[in-house]
Amino acid sequence: MDLKYVGKDIPRVDAYEKVTGTTKYMSDLSFDGMLWGKVLRSIHPHALIKSIDTSKAKALPGVEAVVTWEDVPGLNGFGIAIQDQPVLCKDKVRYAGDAVAAVAAVSKEIAEEAALLIEVEYEVLPVVDDPIRAIEPDSPKVHESGNILLHTEIRKGDIDKGFDEADLIIENTYYASRQEHAFLETEDGIALIEEDGTLTVYAGSHYPHRDQLQLSRCLNMPVEKIRVVSSPVGGAFGGKDELTIQPIMALLALKTGKPVKMVMPREESIISYWKRHPMIMIYRTGVKRDGTLVANDVKVYADTGAYASLGGPILNLALESSCGLYRIPHVHIDGYSVYTNNGISGAFRGFGVPQVTFAMESQMDIIAEKLGLDPIEFRRKNILKKGEVAPIGHHITTDVESEAVLDAMEGSRLWRERERYRGTDKNRPWIKRGVGLALSWQGMGLGVGLPDFGDAVIEMDPDGGFIVRVGCVEIGQGAMTVYAQVAAEALRFPIERIRVVIGDTRNAPDAGPTTASRAAYVGGKAIFLAAEEMNEKIKGYASGMLSVSPDEIEIDDGSAYVKTAKDKRVSYEEISSYAIERGGLPVAEGHFDLPTADKAIEGAFGLPHHIYSCCGQIAAVEVNTLTGQARVTDGAVVVDAGTVINQGGLEGQSEGGFVMGTGYALTEDLIIENGVVKTPNFSTYIIPTSKDMPSSIETIPVTNYESTGPFGAKGIGEIGMVPTAPAVTNAIYDAADIRVFKIPATGERIYELLKQKKGENK
Amino acid sequence: MKEFDYFRPSSLDECLKLLDQMRGRARILAGGTDLLVRLKHDMIREDNIVDIGRLDELHGVHVDGGDVHIAPLTTHNEIVESGLCDEVPVLKKACAQVGSPQIRNRGTIGGNVVNASPAGDTIPALSVHGAHVKLKSIDGERTIPIEELFTGPGRTAMRDNEILVDIVVPTIANGEIGFFKKLGQRNAMAISIVNIAVILSMNRSSKIIERAAVAVGSAAPTVIRCIEVENLMAGSRIDSAERLWEIAMKIRDRVSPISDVRASARYRAEMSANLFYEGMLELGVI
Repeated sequence: MDLKYVGKDIPRVDAYEKVTGTTKYMSDLSFDGMLWGKVLRSIHPHALIKSIDTSKAKALPGVEAVVTWEDVPGLNGFGIAIQDQPVLCKDKVRYAGDAVAAVAAVSKEIAEEAALLIEVEYEVLPVVDDPIRAIEPDSPKVHESGNILLHTEIRKGDIDKGFDEADLIIENTYYASRQEHAFLETEDGIALIEEDGTLTVYAGSHYPHRDQLQLSRCLNMPVEKIRVVSSPVGGAFGGKDELTIQPIMALLALKTGKPVKMVMPREESIISYWKRHPMIMIYRTGVKRDGTLVANDVKVYADTGAYASLGGPILNLALESSCGLYRIPHVHIDGYSVYTNNGISGAFRGFGVPQVTFAMESQMDIIAEKLGLDPIEFRRKNILKKGEVAPIGHHITTDVESEAVLDAMEGSRLWRERERYRGTDKNRPWIKRGVGLALSWQGMGLGVGLPDFGDAVIEMDPDGGFIVRVGCVEIGQGAMTVYAQVAAEALRFPIERIRVVIGDTRNAPDAGPTTASRAAYVGGKAIFLAAEEMNEKIKGYASGMLSVSPDEIEIDDGSAYVKTAKDKRVSYEEISSYAIERGGLPVAEGHFDLPTADKAIEGAFGLPHHIYSCCGQIAAVEVNTLTGQARVTDGAVVVDAGTVINQGGLEGQSEGGFVMGTGYALTEDLIIENGVVKTPNFSTYIIPTSKDMPSSIETIPVTNYESTGPFGAKGIGEIGMVPTAPAVTNAIYDAADIRVFKIPATGERIYELLKQKKGENK
Repeated sequence: MKEFDYFRPSSLDECLKLLDQMRGRARILAGGTDLLVRLKHDMIREDNIVDIGRLDELHGVHVDGGDVHIAPLTTHNEIVESGLCDEVPVLKKACAQVGSPQIRNRGTIGGNVVNASPAGDTIPALSVHGAHVKLKSIDGERTIPIEELFTGPGRTAMRDNEILVDIVVPTIANGEIGFFKKLGQRNAMAISIVNIAVILSMNRSSKIIERAAVAVGSAAPTVIRCIEVENLMAGSRIDSAERLWEIAMKIRDRVSPISDVRASARYRAEMSANLFYEGMLELGVI
């Protein structure tokens, strides 16, 4: 097919407004008579609430409302999977940051002052902070039901037999840290009551339609009376998937009848909201002398913090990918998602997979080295292909370009020239350099048993252009541009005259969440299907106008013409006038159900996925052995992307993912001690700056046509950060001969490992 | 954020009078890179903010005799870009590593000094350059060596009506070489885990060190001079890596750092030695 927009160098449709600062994020909005909201949060990680006295706060001049659990009209609970998190706590707080009460006042300062006047009497309970200890029966309980949110156990083959067959068994325990999303815009927004009584909530999030549903439950209001606008988002990376401030703002707006705005200060955002799950991962991997993997025994403890949110699905996704994309006949996987008083863990780019990939790909590197095998050759020997049985027991029935990704890694400049990036610095011999790699795979979409669909609507506007409506959000990833490109291509119509409306429950249909690497794939496919219907309608009008049968009509570049007589044509402006005279402008709808696996994995809800993507990364690292500090100097990202719709967008995701993965590998650690956050700002929670960037990151797409996706595309939103940490830590081993079992590999940690090694060698 | 009264004197005299009236109830606002953060977090006791941003006499660099005079409102970036400051190269290197371009454009050297953070990047550099600070009040003025200014973390020997008016830095002598090294958790916008400044007067051919100055930051309640190490090096040649290690270990023994969320005390202590070792090797002292 001759493509005009897809795969072409199309600038972002929102670029001009974003770089000139005219884009209005939710935190930029204000309304007449607006009040400011402030949340009173628990300072205790675990305590009973004995009493709440709001009288002093209510008496403060300028305060218009103070709300507590008593003011929640509906279910005082939210959560995407399990609704166990109170909007406002009634009798117990489960983390330092739990919301207890909230204030609306005429100024931010008064709201802050009033919140401090609310008197809460607590009875402090013992803090549950160790996920392994927490599952013991005598541990204090975070929830009445116990501390195990989910236990999933998957067996394939005979694990004991597998280890009997193995010539080499490698056993290690890995630790992955708690990562903060560090989006630019914190959890901010406004809630207000419209003249017709509709509650409108403006707050950046991944999925306005689900926010609407959750709000409806908490507020006991019909969904039709709630409008949620959640786009554009100033970054989220999973951190705005679950509700954050929306229900509290809504309560305050309902109580006062006025617009209520809230903007989270950075510290409050970091302390109060979602994080990547810290995981402890115990791996035992068996392999034959020739490099054939025979057994993998995996145990995972995920610290899900105080509430469920997506802790269960995240554990299961981690387990699905925990053995890598490898053929392993004997597998035992045992995972726990455990409640603690350590903040709240939830969705984050990669959804559990970066943690287990760090563990598994470290195991792979260790085994390759012990057996004297080339790390790519060793992976190639064991790599899973379409038609084979995955580690959790299902057949892979779609294309996952595992071999092509390995080939592209092998052919990349960084790998071919790796000797240049290795060895000891001549002038500064304490600087050691090395190169490492890692491979990952990840399911796309929500998985088996969950509704996973997308709707899109295309309307012709009166001047013959189009409005494309789809419920996903612009989260910074470039979804609007991809949607415009897909629509322009499918409609064969100039992209400049297509307007994309997204992320608004009133003005765009439900297309599912902008998560799980699915927005471009599902939203794009729904638009494609709507465009096909629109094209048929246009052909119908043109056939009437040109007095030929619809089959004889061709459309291109904003006009419809007779195939055999190209000068017989009508413009879309003419078609729109014609349509208006005959009852209205054409509207077309597209509905796409994401294909799912036909058989579920027993005891593992949501598993397996049906469509997978694969990503391989190479990192070049230098380690200063005097300070322990490691720096990533170069990177290569090979990603199984299907058709690339927008090369710039792909590079943005891949480079952004690599850099985020570098931070995860080396510096990012949201430390919680005894339930209290120790690193609540960007002075102590260390994300990379431009001066910590590698000098180059090469993006190499593998572009096999994905038959189910729009123009053959796959989702790539998450996978770019998934294999980075093990690529970096494997490079650290190559450079300095030390194995990192705990990320982040900070200077101090690496230094301690170097000292241990020195001690061992003495 | 609590309320405060804001003053913006238009002359140094007016400022000194204000400070004298307020006697410890005033906080001086210069670049604001630290004060504004503290204000936001309600970490400021004082009820009055005196903005000295309009006092031109407290701004700029000039050379007088063998000294570079750096007025306190001079920003880090101005020092980095000042040709006059080529004569105080270790300070220049330290200024270039403070915060980020934005911080360096706003933050002043006077603020970095008076803040008295044990991790302040300019302080060890000023110390090894042999800098003095001139303090002024309505009662008069006095000049003291920079090391005498600091009495503890965030604490100085300044009287409650005094203001810093000049930083006097002797220009580096012919043949003197030095370095400033900072270990942060990342390469920009980092608070020093440890920093170190060294100036040596070394004979290029014999490599005999005639004189040495070594100051370490973020490894004790205040920036410290390592006099024992300086004396150990003076008049001798470091002829091997082993000898350099021995000297570096003396620095490790001299420091008394704390553990915090950035690093443990033990790591800080070892890094004070290792940064010295690395910097000396890079200087080519062996």
